[in-house]
Amino acid sequence: MPAATELRGSHGKAAGPVLTKDFGTADLYKLAVYEKIGGYQAWRKALTTMQPAEVTGEVKASGLRGRGGAGFPTGTKWGFLPPPDGGPRYVVVNADESEPGTAKDRYLMENHPHQLVEGILIACYAIQAHHAWIYIRGEYDLQHDLVAAAIAEARTAGYLGEQPLGTEFPIDIHLYRGHGAYICGEETALLESLEGKRAQPRSRPPFPAVKGAWGRPTLLNNVETLSTLPWIISNGGAAYAKFGTEKSPGTRLFTVSGDVQRPGNYEMELGKPFSHLINDLAGGPFPGHSIKVWWPGGCSAPVLTGEMLETPSDMESLAAIGSMGGSGGVIVADDRRCVVRCAYRLLQFYAHESCGKCTPCRVGGNWAVRTYERVLAGEGTAADLATFDRIQTGLAAGRCLCGLGDSAGWVIQWTMERFRDEYEEHILRHTCSVEAAARA
Amino acid sequence: MTLSDHTLKEIRELPPKYPHIRSAVMPALDLVQEELGMLTQEAMTQVAQALQVDPGYVEGVATFYSLFHLEPVGKHHLYVCNNLSCQLRGAEELLTHIKESIGVSEYGQVSADGLFSVEPVECLGACEYAPMLRADHRFHYDLTPAKIDTLLKEWRGDREGKKARKEAHPRAGSH
Ligand SMILES: Cc1cc2nc3c(=O)[nH]c(=O)nc-3n(C[C@H](O)[C@H](O)[C@H](O)COP(=O)(O)O)c2cc1C
Ligand code: FES
Repeated sequence: MPAATELRGSHGKAAGPVLTKDFGTADLYKLAVYEKIGGYQAWRKALTTMQPAEVTGEVKASGLRGRGGAGFPTGTKWGFLPPPDGGPRYVVVNADESEPGTAKDRYLMENHPHQLVEGILIACYAIQAHHAWIYIRGEYDLQHDLVAAAIAEARTAGYLGEQPLGTEFPIDIHLYRGHGAYICGEETALLESLEGKRAQPRSRPPFPAVKGAWGRPTLLNNVETLSTLPWIISNGGAAYAKFGTEKSPGTRLFTVSGDVQRPGNYEMELGKPFSHLINDLAGGPFPGHSIKVWWPGGCSAPVLTGEMLETPSDMESLAAIGSMGGSGGVIVADDRRCVVRCAYRLLQFYAHESCGKCTPCRVGGNWAVRTYERVLAGEGTAADLATFDRIQTGLAAGRCLCGLGDSAGWVIQWTMERFRDEYEEHILRHTCSVEAAARA
Repeated sequence: MTLSDHTLKEIRELPPKYPHIRSAVMPALDLVQEELGMLTQEAMTQVAQALQVDPGYVEGVATFYSLFHLEPVGKHHLYVCNNLSCQLRGAEELLTHIKESIGVSEYGQVSADGLFSVEPVECLGACEYAPMLRADHRFHYDLTPAKIDTLLKEWRGDREGKKARKEAHPRAGSH
């Protein structure tokens, strides 16, 4: 056992009501333990007492929205698949988790793999797919092995395989490992990679629901989205919709990292303010420091300031202030941190991970990195403020084939918008009072 | 360096697991890397022959993904995350410490004894344990220079590198 990593986040008294309610139960990853707390009862209920359309109906009623980044309503997405035509169709699980600051899918897979497997089975039945493929990032070795072990246990116990629970609805779940490329989290790049190719996004339409994996109708959902399904089927969509807000129902598993005292993965009802997550659950900033800047949903969600901590965590409240729910990865940086330097690090990330297919992203990312390097070296000129603006508008506004370019542009745009003073100080006066104060 | 018959046999057994043969290319390259520690030109050609795909196709895939090594690496290759959350928690200091301790001046360079190489990588999805690294298929958390020293000492006693994934995760294999 990898020295049973200390569980950091929702468990024991702090456990959340849905995804993490059983966290802290010893050996939760074992089938016998999961069965003892009611595991696979939702699957039994769906497969043996409900029609596929009823399952989709419950998910629609729950109002669940995708937890991978875009927040698209899950039940609606399921409805986009054409009716079965006798040929193969697939559920593809996005377990590529590579958005900086996001570790919640890892947490779900390594602690509660059967909850995910049960969710996948429910989704397969709802869309009438006999095969699911889990695309898991290559660096998640332990998580891969734990999910594989859970699938094997579930097969032996008859929950999947040729005749799941004695029915005539064969299902198999397969694992496919990624090999280190952020872009594989983007759904069409993921499909290219699953098909064994270089992971370059496809242009849409056609959408994966119509023409996805190996040219066949495909449902793509995130690990957390699917892990929520057993609860929804057991308790009903209406019960789930009681959590959260009207438009962003339910709970979400947030990762909090960076300058906080208790970094971890915490399940919180949507709509509760981020101050609760960051200060109460994650312990807040270190003594003597204050939160200056934070990213609410991975670094691709536009940056917010310390004054905005009371923002409610639902997607609408974030959209109202120019940001988004994103991946749920909350990155916190305190008053010792130079925002220009943080933005530089993030642009290095986007430049490195650009797949190279479309020009604005391939060129813009590197141009931004070079500009940041010059500015941070104290060689900026007044023209660089306009340069950043040009790069940013060239990347954003849907000019690229996928969201990566937009995200890179937003980092520049919103760090400049919210911390213009710091950019001006670097560019016009060639100093950084933040880092000077931190060193003093 | 070319592949053993055993690995080639394993590679030939891959295609039926996938709806299309191309999906077997990356799993095949994993087997190559497991045996040779890197992807050599000869081995990639062997993979192409075994799977009956174009050698250029195999190389195209191999060069896209950062987990494939086209250059030699140490027996223990250290992937150190230095994305933002890890950087805020001291990743740069760790990287410098590792380079000094293993006696290399550049990332990707192999230490004189052949045991180590180090590379900064993007977020590894374990940000709550920052700073962290991955080596020999395992994550190591809450790192400090002192913890690095302990790990390096342990690895110096393991001159082969635990390439076999089974050994890395007895918990997952114990069912
Ligand atoms: C550049 C980029 C990276 C992405 N990375 C991920 C990822 O790592 N995991 C994920 O689930 N979704 C990721 N997404 C979102 C997926 O494209 C897709 O919307 C999602 O997996 C759908 O699942 P959901 O509806 O359950 O959220 C990414 C999107 C973009 C544009
Ligand atoms: S930033 Fe290092 S693991 Fe996420």
